[in-house]
Amino acid sequence: MDVLLPIARQQKAQAMTERLEGTFRLNLQPHHAIWMLLIFVFTVGAAQAQAPRELISPIDALVKWMPFILWGQEGTLNGFALNLMISFFAMLFGTIAGVTLGLMQISLLLPVRKGSWFVTQFFRNSPWLVLLFTIMLLFPFEIELGNMIIPVPDWMKAVIGFALPVMANISEVVRGAVRSLPTGQWESAESLAFSRRQTLWMIILPQCFKRMIPPWINWYCILAMATPLASIMGVEESVSYTAQAMNAEGDRPELLPVFYLFLLLIFFVYTYPIARWSIRLEKKFVVKT
Amino acid sequence: MKSKKTAILAGVTAALAFGVVATLADQAYAKNDRFKKVLDRGELIVGVKADYKPWGFRDSSGKIVGMEVDMANDVAKALGVKLKLIPVQSSNRMQFLQQGKIDLMIATMSDKANRRKVVGITDPNYYTSGTNVLAKKGVVKNWDDLKGKPVCGKQGAFYNKQVTSRYGAKIVAFVGNAEAKQALRDGKCVAWVYDDSSIMADLASGQYNDYEMPMKTEDDTPWGLAVPLDEKDGIWGNFMSGITYNWHRTGRLIELEKKWGIQPTAYLQTMKKKFEAYQPK
Repeated sequence: MDVLLPIARQQKAQAMTERLEGTFRLNLQPHHAIWMLLIFVFTVGAAQAQAPRELISPIDALVKWMPFILWGQEGTLNGFALNLMISFFAMLFGTIAGVTLGLMQISLLLPVRKGSWFVTQFFRNSPWLVLLFTIMLLFPFEIELGNMIIPVPDWMKAVIGFALPVMANISEVVRGAVRSLPTGQWESAESLAFSRRQTLWMIILPQCFKRMIPPWINWYCILAMATPLASIMGVEESVSYTAQAMNAEGDRPELLPVFYLFLLLIFFVYTYPIARWSIRLEKKFVVKT
Repeated sequence: MKSKKTAILAGVTAALAFGVVATLADQAYAKNDRFKKVLDRGELIVGVKADYKPWGFRDSSGKIVGMEVDMANDVAKALGVKLKLIPVQSSNRMQFLQQGKIDLMIATMSDKANRRKVVGITDPNYYTSGTNVLAKKGVVKNWDDLKGKPVCGKQGAFYNKQVTSRYGAKIVAFVGNAEAKQALRDGKCVAWVYDDSSIMADLASGQYNDYEMPMKTEDDTPWGLAVPLDEKDGIWGNFMSGITYNWHRTGRLIELEKKWGIQPTAYLQTMKKKFEAYQPK
């Protein structure tokens, strides 16, 4: 069984990182991209051949609706652009809240530590869809402040709904990164008369920062791919727009694989470079212990 | 750190409580507040379908168009305000109306007693749909022609049972409508039985040019447009009742039906005749 050893080692190393970060890694390789393209080309070809001659062909239909799926009506940012917007803002808010929560998790005060641990675990282990539903149904569509009416559009509610699980996972990333440093760092800082705050800000966190970047990017990719969940709540993003575009073309069965694979492709094209970049950063930042 | 967290928690709780209060306040509106709000705002917000051709769907520029959109336009014009459309789904259309996110809902909704308890469906109904079949031109003429013949249907659809018990058709059931329609194209059955509004949508799509909907529609279910429940007996509900009456009387809906390539519905003809009978000659 000697041949299995390198694989076993590799699996073990991967399992260790994943345990530390509390998540799986998007391990996208160049051959994945080739497979994706092949599947797309073959499916489109098959659908094209199947389509009745007298109707608009699936490819022409896709080209016609592409701008609509990518950004919606002219001058609006819906469709895929809205998926990106939701992912940016959810990541921004999720990161700010997550770093705060993560630092609370390593606090010396027991109630703070326990409380933040509970919040982290609660949001980390709740299904994303449940959180999204709760937030979207809980928040009003507009807030009245005296005479002022502040509208809360659906996509903004989706941002909050997605920011919560991101927050909890980033919190774990921060905690994991701090834990991953050898205790010697704390001890030597203490022997040099650094206060706890100084140790944390000047010694520990700068070293953690590098380690947190790859899992942080990884979480961004997962979040970006999760944003179509919002289509269930009627947010005008790419998946709901794709369904509407297909309906406008008469819901023909041969359009389904072409349109949905196109969606898969644009998400892949967006996520792939980011995932590859995160793998490169990880190799660069690897810390020898 | 702890006090900071408590402060954040308190803030969040307050925001949530505020949200709940805001929602409750919305529901407790007195009858005519919605109507007044529409006029103050200068904009009417209507929930329509964006995935139900030809009632509400997207044109290639992404704009929502269709028969129900034209109706919404008529309402906005009558009020002298701008129109804003919000795409709704069957699963959220009544909630949107309850929350106050939309002022009016025209979204292919069947009028059911339990729905009348949730939203203010106004009378008279603007449309009906029922059981009919899609068949190749000239193959069948009336319901009795189906006797003993294979008819395609969707598994579990209640139309299947009716054509079997009433007209003795042999149902060939498929998992979905796409499969059933494909079987019809392949000649595995003489007709496909389903809801006439859905069949009309197929006919309008241009994929079924050699096909027709030959029968007289049975088991008509009325469609209802709706205003918020507590506005139903106020200005807003009565306004919508009035505009629907005029749509029927002037034949506006029949005209729209024609515009969107929908086969004439017997209900609209009947209503037009009925209301016209009261007019002085």
